[in-house]
Amino acid sequence: MTPLISAAKVGRMPHPRASEVARVALELCDRCGLCLPLCPPEAIHLEFDELLIDQQTCTGCRKCIAPCPVGALAMVPA
Amino acid sequence: MPDSDVLVVGAGPAGSVAAWEAKRAAPELDVVLLERDPTVGVPVRCAEGVGDAGLREFVDPDGAPWVARRITRIIFVAPDDTEVRVADGTVAWILDRTRFDSFLAERARAVGVEVRVATEAAGMERDGDGRWRVRVRGPRGEEVWRARVVIGADGVEAMVGRWAGLDTRVPARDMESCAQYVLQNVDFDPDAIYLQFGDRIAPGGYAWLFPKGVAIANVGLGIVALRADGRNAREYLDAWIARRYPGGTTVGSTVGGVIVNPTIKQTYGDGVMVAGDAAHMVNPLSGAGIVNAMKAGRLGGRTAAAAIREGDTSARRLSSYHRAWMDLLGEEHRTHYRIKQALDELDDGFFNGLARTANRIPERKRSLGRIFAHALVRHPQLIPVAARCFV
Repeated sequence: MTPLISAAKVGRMPHPRASEVARVALELCDRCGLCLPLCPPEAIHLEFDELLIDQQTCTGCRKCIAPCPVGALAMVPA
Repeated sequence: MPDSDVLVVGAGPAGSVAAWEAKRAAPELDVVLLERDPTVGVPVRCAEGVGDAGLREFVDPDGAPWVARRITRIIFVAPDDTEVRVADGTVAWILDRTRFDSFLAERARAVGVEVRVATEAAGMERDGDGRWRVRVRGPRGEEVWRARVVIGADGVEAMVGRWAGLDTRVPARDMESCAQYVLQNVDFDPDAIYLQFGDRIAPGGYAWLFPKGVAIANVGLGIVALRADGRNAREYLDAWIARRYPGGTTVGSTVGGVIVNPTIKQTYGDGVMVAGDAAHMVNPLSGAGIVNAMKAGRLGGRTAAAAIREGDTSARRLSSYHRAWMDLLGEEHRTHYRIKQALDELDDGFFNGLARTANRIPERKRSLGRIFAHALVRHPQLIPVAARCFV
């Protein structure tokens, strides 16, 4: 039996370039990781003490923006 | 290339218990426990409350240095501030998670688990002979560890599950955005936990005060952003504290996510299992996750040890972990999830009325069961909620 196919892999396929993408304000971010499982294409990563958003992978869906407990995420023009 | 039999990612309660159980069950195995942060248990992203019975399955809290406070009462607070003291013979504990987590990791180390801090897993791939190659970064630079079984206990981020192809994503409606302060110089009953509900206080969640001592407490709340008015969790918390505890002094602050989604559909794959927050094992109604994580860690650690001894770490073999978890708590959590959904439909007026109904019951007899029974008669809106207990 093989593991389920990750739906996230589908999300990595090329998509029309988003007009807006998510950006993190690192001075506000607490590195809690809440936004990672909310991101459909897995564009957000946490490496040691740094939150990274891959601007090429972000589809601009905004799902991460409002749930951030400290308002550290915002949309910016791509 | 360093070799391990069981590689556990994340030294929270799920990971430390998994590593400890695996090593105890099969001492001949090499068990490695990785923790990204330099100190196990830091930072704390938790309200630190835990029930007595569940905790005692694993450790003895009496006089333990990792206990902050013993709790004997629950006080529910309605949206209009009506307090309902519940006399249930409840015993719960507020932990000192920094000490508690480090105690559990030390206990694993004491039986022979290799604990590595400041070390993060960065990715993993299956190799030709049916083992995982886990890319790791730490004080020794970059390494690739081989492992027969990887246990992902990496919390809300759940990267191990993703790398293994498991679906660990969370719909926004099931993510509680939480903020909490450690507040000093506030007035409350130090033997009680307080839980307040209300659409303007904590939409989709609740606000809490958990005593860590006399006049010092974890004061926080969780909200579902989709139900909020545009403010973030910390802004809701600041407003609540300004109203309820205006004289308090903030001595600590944390934020984080609590996933109130039932257990993921598949918690295992070839040579991999995920446990705790990473597998959405928090109780969706209460938000409690510490004991659940330890119970899953115990199942995962024992399953890993037995599977390796049998020479079969296939997904088919490890599926027994998933079944055991679903029988233990996973199915119950689905029921709790449905109850939460039904309660989410009720408004502040309902909860204010419910509080008054409950307070008509003499305090000595005011157990949760009796409150619910009385409430069912007076508040027919509760019937669909009750029905979901049995669906």
